[in-house]
Amino acid sequence: MDFLYDGSFEGLLTAVFEAYYRHEVPERILSRKYYQESLLDQVLYIRTDPSKAYRVYRSIKEKISPLCYKNVYYTFLSEHEDAATWIYNYLRLGWSMGKEVDSCLADEQVLKVHSIVRKVVGERHRMLGFIRFKLLADNIYYAGFEPDYNIVGLLAPHFSARLPDQNWILHDVKRSLAVLYNKKRWTLTPFSHTGFISASDCAPDFQELWKQYFKRIAIPNRRNPKLQKRNMPVRYWKYLTEKQLPG
Amino acid sequence: MELEKKLNILADSAKYDASCSSSGSTRKNKPGGVGNGSLGGICHSFSDDGRCISLFKILLTNHCIFDCKYCVNRASNDIPRTFFTPDEITALTLGFYRRNYIEGLFLSSAIYKNPDYTMELLLTTVRKLRKDNRFNGYIHLKAIPGADPRLIREAGYYADRMSVNIELPTQNSLKLLAPQKSKDAIIKPMSVISSKILENRDERKHYSSSPAYVPAGQSTQMVIGATPDTDLTIMTLSENLYKRFRLKRVYYSAYVPVSSHPALPGNIVPPLLREHRLYQADWLLRFYGFKAEELLNADNPNLDMELDPKSDWAVRNLHLFPVEVNSADYSMLLRVPGIGVHSAHRIVAARRHHSLDYGSLKKIGVVLKRACLFITCRGKYYGNISMNEALIKDSLASAGEKSKDKNPQWQQLSLFPSPDRPVPAQVLLPSITGEL
Repeated sequence: MDFLYDGSFEGLLTAVFEAYYRHEVPERILSRKYYQESLLDQVLYIRTDPSKAYRVYRSIKEKISPLCYKNVYYTFLSEHEDAATWIYNYLRLGWSMGKEVDSCLADEQVLKVHSIVRKVVGERHRMLGFIRFKLLADNIYYAGFEPDYNIVGLLAPHFSARLPDQNWILHDVKRSLAVLYNKKRWTLTPFSHTGFISASDCAPDFQELWKQYFKRIAIPNRRNPKLQKRNMPVRYWKYLTEKQLPG
Repeated sequence: MELEKKLNILADSAKYDASCSSSGSTRKNKPGGVGNGSLGGICHSFSDDGRCISLFKILLTNHCIFDCKYCVNRASNDIPRTFFTPDEITALTLGFYRRNYIEGLFLSSAIYKNPDYTMELLLTTVRKLRKDNRFNGYIHLKAIPGADPRLIREAGYYADRMSVNIELPTQNSLKLLAPQKSKDAIIKPMSVISSKILENRDERKHYSSSPAYVPAGQSTQMVIGATPDTDLTIMTLSENLYKRFRLKRVYYSAYVPVSSHPALPGNIVPPLLREHRLYQADWLLRFYGFKAEELLNADNPNLDMELDPKSDWAVRNLHLFPVEVNSADYSMLLRVPGIGVHSAHRIVAARRHHSLDYGSLKKIGVVLKRACLFITCRGKYYGNISMNEALIKDSLASAGEKSKDKNPQWQQLSLFPSPDRPVPAQVLLPSITGEL
């Protein structure tokens, strides 16, 4: 039996709830977004119910640990096909062991969750550095990027603490999602306008100066493109100011 | 001169400073201000030499009255000279910061007119950033040797980190290459800063509102390979700096030839591997509980180029190995080659639940390539050679080489060697179609 949820985090938690109270152990929990129906699958459609989701949320935080909740959420954000199934198995172990579950490092289920969480955390941290804002005409700082995982919401608290006196937009181009900030608070919203964004900064000097600086700060005798690419993977270069061609 | 040209010249002059870390500060943003510190530091880009760009590293000026032979900015060097005004630096820093290019500013300077004058200019610049522009991002500021202690003391209230470069590890080397610098002039600002940090820490225990003084600590830098100093001299000095002045970091910078003075080595290639080994040894001092005398002594004054310092130490102390992963204490686990701080923590956490075998070590992410030669799991030894110094050394060295070797002399023999000449199609066809 497979459970199908609607792809939202609440939907996922509802599916976990149903798995417990129906006394039916799902083989997999899958998101309807990626699901490919096949002839032999037995499928149960889960209807998202916020109050059930909330009970699961409370239970994870109280009976297991806040850290476990964070792991669950980050695993969800990885958007991996099997994320929900991993989460379910991890939580089952969690409810039987309590907060100790996160020190069972050699357990298969825990390992799967931990390793995907590490990747999401890693990309979030990288992006704190690799986000590049452009100043648009209306005094708005805009940054487009295409992360592997759905981390745009995780970046927002960092930038609202750091740049509170700017209007800014963090735009996940791949997922058409954006965080908008208006000097007071931020919100996460679907976002696909790109027409108004011109390629250049309205104060282009800074982009040009930064490119110059980037070129100059490297020591020629120590050139090491391999190391550079390892630290700053090429897939991120598209949105890095210093990697754009001049002009 | 226009801004772009100045930036080019002064970035060129600043690039030989190795330090770029932005960690250690938890400075909060204040209402109406911009920026904050990030405790772990954030790398914003990586330049073509693969090193991280975290701070906007720049000189205030490269006009220098000193003539240090190893330095690109020495007075006798014929290069274009210029200087930034404090306002220009402020504007650049904020412009870059607001676009998230950088984590903050690393401001240094050549010595212009005299040390006091230079230090005052630096102080004016950081004061402008912090006070007038309410900038709360990271600031790393150089303290100028020989400047008035009062200036250095005040600067520390604006900076997150300060540093004084030692440059060369002995008085003799300094005399040879940087005759205008003296050991005392370098050590003095260091001790001023370190005692002020201690005093401040005590102060903040009683009055939590008193402003933090150099919250991310101080660091220094040494040039490696410009003088014949041994690694033993360098590591002993580093150890003392960590102990006496509680430095956060000592940076080692492989000497990049920037001049052809007869007192300097004529080699063209910077000693990058030696620099790497020194950093490894430095980490062993700071995070692994090693002492400099354990790693190096009068008989072996230099680090082994083939083996990393920890493996080298382990091979010389084989009587301590193998250790049992399920019972060895944390400090001993740390001494096993291949097991780092992270792995040691994981082992200690995981073995609380069940004893670990070889497979579960792999699962929790311990890299066993080297470690397997020095450990037992549940009493069983998994290395494929016996505990013999020469054998183990060989095996470790070849393990390192294997990954580097691009044109191996050896190759795996195939059971069905491929024919030297391609088989003609007519011969091959029947065997494919089956029509013989």
